[in-house]
Amino acid sequence: MAILEIKNVSKFFGGLAANSNVSFSVEEGTIMGLIGPNGAGKTTLFNCITGYYPPSKGEVVFDGRRMNGLDPDKVCMLGMVRTWQKVRPLAKLSVVDNVMVGALARTSSLKVARELAMEQIKVVRMEHRADFIAGGLPIGERKKLEVARALATQPKLLLLDEVMGGLNPAESEEIIQLILDIKQRGLTQMVIEHDMKAIMRISDRIVVLTSGEKLTEGSPQEVVSNPEVISAYLGEAHA
Amino acid sequence: MDKTILKAIAILAVLGGLLAIPRFVDSPYALHMMILLFMSVMMGQSWNILGGYAGQHSVGHAAYFGVGAYTTMMLMHTKQIAPWIGVWAGIALVVVVALIIGSICFRLRGPYFVLASIAVAEILRLSAINLTTLTNGAEGILATELPPFKVGGAIITDFATKVPFYYIGLFLVVLTVGVTYLVQHSKLGYFFQAIREDQDAAHSLGISISLYKNIALVLSAVLTSLAGSFYGIYVGFVDPPTVLGLDVSVQIMLICIIGGMGTLWGPVLGSLVLVPLSEALRSNMITEALVKIGLVSPESKIGIFLKENLSHAHVLLYGILVVVVILFMPDGLMGFIKKLAKRRKQEAV
Amino acid sequence: MAVFMQSLISGILIGGVYALIGIGLTLIFGVMRVINFAHGDILMVGMYLTYIIFTMLGIDPFVSVLITFPLMFLFGGFLQKVFINRVLNALAQNQILLTIGLGLIMSNTVMLIFTSDYKILTTSYSSSTIQVGGGVSVSTPLLISFLITSAITAALYWFLLKTDTGQAIRATAQDRDAAQLMGINVKRMSIIAFGLGAALAGTAGALISPTYYIFPQVGGVFTLKAFVITVLGGMGSVVGATLGGILIGVTESMSAVYVSSGWKDVIVFVLFLLVLLFKPSGLMGKSRT
Repeated sequence: MAILEIKNVSKFFGGLAANSNVSFSVEEGTIMGLIGPNGAGKTTLFNCITGYYPPSKGEVVFDGRRMNGLDPDKVCMLGMVRTWQKVRPLAKLSVVDNVMVGALARTSSLKVARELAMEQIKVVRMEHRADFIAGGLPIGERKKLEVARALATQPKLLLLDEVMGGLNPAESEEIIQLILDIKQRGLTQMVIEHDMKAIMRISDRIVVLTSGEKLTEGSPQEVVSNPEVISAYLGEAHA
Repeated sequence: MDKTILKAIAILAVLGGLLAIPRFVDSPYALHMMILLFMSVMMGQSWNILGGYAGQHSVGHAAYFGVGAYTTMMLMHTKQIAPWIGVWAGIALVVVVALIIGSICFRLRGPYFVLASIAVAEILRLSAINLTTLTNGAEGILATELPPFKVGGAIITDFATKVPFYYIGLFLVVLTVGVTYLVQHSKLGYFFQAIREDQDAAHSLGISISLYKNIALVLSAVLTSLAGSFYGIYVGFVDPPTVLGLDVSVQIMLICIIGGMGTLWGPVLGSLVLVPLSEALRSNMITEALVKIGLVSPESKIGIFLKENLSHAHVLLYGILVVVVILFMPDGLMGFIKKLAKRRKQEAV
Repeated sequence: MAVFMQSLISGILIGGVYALIGIGLTLIFGVMRVINFAHGDILMVGMYLTYIIFTMLGIDPFVSVLITFPLMFLFGGFLQKVFINRVLNALAQNQILLTIGLGLIMSNTVMLIFTSDYKILTTSYSSSTIQVGGGVSVSTPLLISFLITSAITAALYWFLLKTDTGQAIRATAQDRDAAQLMGINVKRMSIIAFGLGAALAGTAGALISPTYYIFPQVGGVFTLKAFVITVLGGMGSVVGATLGGILIGVTESMSAVYVSSGWKDVIVFVLFLLVLLFKPSGLMGKSRT
């Protein structure tokens, strides 16, 4: 069953189309990869899905419900949560307090929220950092903190915007394992990623965007052997 | 012993001491100083909820202070309504004003929010000057006759001394600090701080930005208006510049900034520094001290100059303090103390 | 009709001075992204400077602009170098607070020296007027100050558009990082911009000193007006500030005549809030999406 349906979504800024006529759907319990060269409109699409921009045209249907025009907080409460390409830790708060903010979306009790937060901190293996101030963490751990905080809101669909960006291979590997772990728990994920190897390993299906439009969609094997995809990426490499 | 228990005992001891002070001290001046201190803590702490925790740096808090002060005073002066009843009218009006201001200003971010908050307070100040039939204009309202406070026919106090004001002030301080403590230790506090640290991130985590900003504003405004009402009845006089002026807004902020924003004890610390210092300047204590230690001769030109002018310049001290704090301890005295404590700890290890 | 023309003309004339104040603030904001809450206090310092020069040396306020301008430039450069420069990367609220603090120091130091008494600078032409026909008369000092303002504004435009330093300032305002990469001495440009901003505010102070009361707290009103003007014109836009200044001058003088002089400032602030709400980028600014 499709948990998220993107139907002909377009987003214009002034006269420029950052997304035009993008359609695809994400099946429950799977990982959808979203790839494309820089400026292809991946993050814009995330923003349209999660309520940061209203789509100029088209529809976003999540869990059978039309999401257009809902604010990000409503989107989160309905079970869809995102992380940020440029991490946004609550810098002056401790790691556990950061994650508690997420958990408080579902409970009003600080005690319960703390327990929920500690669970998610364990999931990302940062127990030893729980009392550290978030602003002082190295980038790898800030990325993991984002994931833990998002998980604490108890989403049905997790949208990850380049969680591996700027990480070294060992850290990336850790994130890949984390994403696969999360999938094991039955959570649906949509992942924007630049690292092709990583996205091939984790995705069940992949959507390719170029200049705001959907180029193609398919299994990782189909996508990687598609000549158009190859030329889009080579084009970027040559530019 | 547990650290929290120790803290609780310390707080109770201080509170007990404060409750006992009027029994042992009957100098009206000492009580007056304490009342000023209470007022300052209330003002700073109220701003702290919005500015310190939720990160919305209003430079227009005079609006709430003034509306509270004016409503209570106007009702007492023209309708002979006792201030402990009038204060509720003030609160109701301030909630309305706060929600209007919130709906305007919270659509703006950063410097634009600051400018809008100033503009709103200025509009109120100018209105108070111009609506002469209602507010008596620039002349202000003088109302010093407080009705006696009765419970079931028995007169509790007739406000002849400063003691009742002392206890009201103490009660209001406990109330404001208590409210802040509850905020800090609840979902609200977490959400406010999340909004302060990163509005977009907070939004993505299910926090309704406008709802929680408005909650912070209303809480902050109501407490500020209480402080304003208390100021009005204690001083017995309000006029546009003293309760609605930009200076008031700046002073409210200063208490927090100097003490430390977003901390429970910051405004208390800030008040403990600011109130005695500005009072020392105002009452010429500093000049007298300089004369006493022989640095300045009272007959010299400098001595005469200081004596005549230094008392007007307590605001100069505010200015210098702000500049020093922003440049050298941007987290205020609380932040500075915490940093020192940390350094000590590290040295010990 | 004569009343209308009268208030329109005096609005434009006072608007010229407002433009000068606004341009100063917008220059500082453009180059440093710092909102200078001490702007009105700098203007106040300019007023007192003019007053001192007038009472001690007997130099006419309009002539003494030649002394005030460079002195205020140095003062602004000093403020930038010693204080503002340290908070360029700090939180916006800390920048605002720092400038509020500097403003308080200025106004209260002046109060210590001159007390808070109102001073009046009376020249032979302070209250004289010139008939321009149609029953419309114009205050002489206002007219002279407008002419000087226009000359300064024209010179400033020339400086910003035609000289290397001016272009470097504009480049810094457009993109600080890129300007730095291009080899522009951004720090120096900041000092010049703050110096210019202060000089313009100080000059505005000098120009209004024959017609205004001079007192230490006079700056507050002008700080607020300067914000209104720059937000109206679009933060960072020099042309916007010029037009914004004139617009505010006219609005004020019209509302003083047709509403009441007590409410004119309220009208200006309400206008300000409306602009903030519906066109926060200002009337001249590019709209943001």
